[in-house]
Amino acid sequence: MDKHATDRGRAASGKVSRRVFLSTGAAGVTLVGTAQEAMPQGAAQRNWDRSADVVVVGAGVAGLPAAVTARDHGASVIVVDENYDIGGRGILSGGRVHLGGGHALQQKAGIKDSADQVFADWTRHDTPDARYSDRDLVRVFADENVPTFNFLVENGVKFNERPIGPERASTVPRTFVTVEWPIPSQLIAPGRGRNGSGLVRQLEVAARQKGAEILLQHEMKSIVREPGRAGKVLGITASHDGKIINIEARKGVIIATGGHTGNVNFRRIFDPRLTEEYQQACMPYVHQGADGELAAMEIGASLWATANQTAEAGAAITKTRHVGCRWGYATLVYQPESPMFHLAKATGLTVADWQDVIFINQAGRRFWNEADGSYKFFAAAMAYSGEPSKLNGGGPIWAIFDADAAAREKWSPKPPHVDPDGFFFSADTIAELASKIRNPHQKQPISGAVLQETVNRYNGFVAAGIDQDFKKPNPMYKIETPPFYAAWSTPILHDTLTGLRTTPSAEVVDIHGEVIPGLYCAGESQGGFAQHGLARCLVFGRVAGRHAAKRTA
Amino acid sequence: MSVGTSPHATVIAAEGPAEVAVGAEFVLKVLVSCPAGCDLSGIAIEVMAPDNATATVDPPAPLSPTPPSPACGGGQGSGTGEAREEAADIAAARRVPLKAPIQVGEHVWCLSCGAHKSSDWHHGAGLLRVPVRIRPHETSLAVWAIPSPVVTGRPFAIKVGAKSAAGFDLTGMPIAVCDGAGAVLASGVLGDGPWPGTTALYWTELTLTAPAKAGMFSWSVEFAAVDLALPHQGSSSRFSIAIVDPPEHRLTVKVVAQETAAPIENAQVRLGAYRAATGGSGLAELMVPKGAYDLNIWKSGYHAPTTSIVIDADLAVEIAITPTPEENPDAAWQM
Repeated sequence: MDKHATDRGRAASGKVSRRVFLSTGAAGVTLVGTAQEAMPQGAAQRNWDRSADVVVVGAGVAGLPAAVTARDHGASVIVVDENYDIGGRGILSGGRVHLGGGHALQQKAGIKDSADQVFADWTRHDTPDARYSDRDLVRVFADENVPTFNFLVENGVKFNERPIGPERASTVPRTFVTVEWPIPSQLIAPGRGRNGSGLVRQLEVAARQKGAEILLQHEMKSIVREPGRAGKVLGITASHDGKIINIEARKGVIIATGGHTGNVNFRRIFDPRLTEEYQQACMPYVHQGADGELAAMEIGASLWATANQTAEAGAAITKTRHVGCRWGYATLVYQPESPMFHLAKATGLTVADWQDVIFINQAGRRFWNEADGSYKFFAAAMAYSGEPSKLNGGGPIWAIFDADAAAREKWSPKPPHVDPDGFFFSADTIAELASKIRNPHQKQPISGAVLQETVNRYNGFVAAGIDQDFKKPNPMYKIETPPFYAAWSTPILHDTLTGLRTTPSAEVVDIHGEVIPGLYCAGESQGGFAQHGLARCLVFGRVAGRHAAKRTA
Repeated sequence: MSVGTSPHATVIAAEGPAEVAVGAEFVLKVLVSCPAGCDLSGIAIEVMAPDNATATVDPPAPLSPTPPSPACGGGQGSGTGEAREEAADIAAARRVPLKAPIQVGEHVWCLSCGAHKSSDWHHGAGLLRVPVRIRPHETSLAVWAIPSPVVTGRPFAIKVGAKSAAGFDLTGMPIAVCDGAGAVLASGVLGDGPWPGTTALYWTELTLTAPAKAGMFSWSVEFAAVDLALPHQGSSSRFSIAIVDPPEHRLTVKVVAQETAAPIENAQVRLGAYRAATGGSGLAELMVPKGAYDLNIWKSGYHAPTTSIVIDADLAVEIAITPTPEENPDAAWQM
């Protein structure tokens, strides 16, 4: 959970990132090549700039507990993260920790649970959340639930005592929420209940107090491994301030880079529809760029349990909740006081009632019942819309509404609530609105006649009380009172649900089914267990940190 | 390098819109090149507008760093790569701002340069004719405040508005509503100020009479082409209207919460085309004709069953609705 442009001044949007890469990253690319040429993999004479027993890549929900645990077991630890601050997506999460097994807070709430019950729940065949799990991993996860909860408490993480659930495959309440970090200046999205800050900030404190060294703005570029299928991992190369440094890992490297959701090429391995227009949740603070997966695969690592990624369960794809801005993920709003606001640009307009808008695709046509948020909705949103230059992906989705809807929702459709730079438009008429919609992902202008007909047809459904096209229940409100608005509402991608193959001890396994000695993976870059949220990251972060620390150097 | 004896050609190419509104400003991107690769970035271009007015377009300021001049003449120095040629093209490109005439139709701009010597080589004159279709400004329409439903034979009013794409004042311009066959149902002229919240949507209210027969009707608003200071296209926009038979009975609907029986305010009550919203006591009243209906309730955050009812007399029903889990997965926890 570590990926991000490396300082607050750098935009993390794909387009801008590319510019940054081309202007400043070229030297880095050259340097990487030079380093690899000068020091082939496995070269004993490699000059290490830094050295530790365990090197953790990513200072997020998996990496931080890995670092703390490795220190608890006596290993020296260096954590690298390319971001300017720690936390990954965890610092923007709701802090909902889905750990059970019968821990102290469950007992206090009168909830009966056990490790066996956790295992039984999360290997259920009747729910796609659990159906495709690697049961060897789930067994370890189940057995480590209570120890992981205790680990968090022992390291100072504070929880609210009210249980939530049962959620998803769980059959008893297991979710407890961490207390938000109390220092506002150390929050990324203040004022929005992002209680995960209390988890990762406290783990950061614990890691530093126990002697782990955290190197921010250090971007892992490659994993250094001895030659051959039995070659052990020796360390990593990382870029920092335009230079490449070599960091030795005497016992192990732990990949905790947070998944691949933000890497268009990588995510399309699993679903070709997920083209560039789909934004990643938690951008622009943190980018899930598949760096860990790619670096590991370059030295032979395998993916695992890839069915989880397309099982159409959980939150891999989400409906935009805050329309009219680029990153309108459901529970995340960057308020103007956020250090990310200059990149996020707008808070978005939070939709309370989907009756207030219609969704259109890039052709200007409705495609589904707007009140639905199921995977059927996403399938329709990503369907081919007839644009011959855009066969994969559905293109932008726009919410169309009128002045009456804005009044009902109590929206103020202007900055800082909306981003007029390609993500929000207004006009006096529907036809004029169509002509104003311009966005890099909008391949062709929307026909004013088509959009006018779309709106007229929908208004007719409202008058008749029946949506003959998509069965939207009780279509309530016409879109007729000027001015009119178009707000970016393209689905947002969230969870990474597959990744690198590991053993139950979090050791990365190669494409031949053999362990890559000294390489570990935890968190959303790890494949095999697709439970949404923080718990699996915490558990396998601990497992990886412990196993790596116990390895013989 | 010596000056050649056989002149090279001067090729002028332009990229711009095929169609422009009357009086609008637009830009032509003009490239001047030599097939042999000579650097012609310093050559001035003369532009003759459709009204025969001429202007000279100076060469663009050189980009930094200036791309190296391609080798020229006698096939020497053929090592100019594609990227280099592209850089030279970019350097030689110039943006030529133009203004469309106010007459609709096809108009031609002539781009030319005389014979010249560049890169130590003689070049012939260049000429390019650029036709551009000039069209009237577009207009577009809005129709709103349409009552729904409307009882057969009753008068009712709607608001209609028109917008010039160029933002022209349309005060006093005629506008009409027509039925599906094109017959004018109502007409009027646009008022003297834009609708609140819009930049230039001029509007008026028209009074119509509902048809004698119930049903869904598709009518249109028509705005004819007009010549203001500049020509404008006409426009048409359809809208739907639900016409119903006269009501016969009163349906009283009370909406309450399932668990507490507390009245639910501002729940939307739908009975086909008929609609009402509950007040503070959870009550809504609808006047409807006899018939069988599906009664639907909509309140964001609640689930309500669809209830089938038959109206053959005044009727009162109570509908209990249940809260649905908040869509926001984190909303269950409120700090």
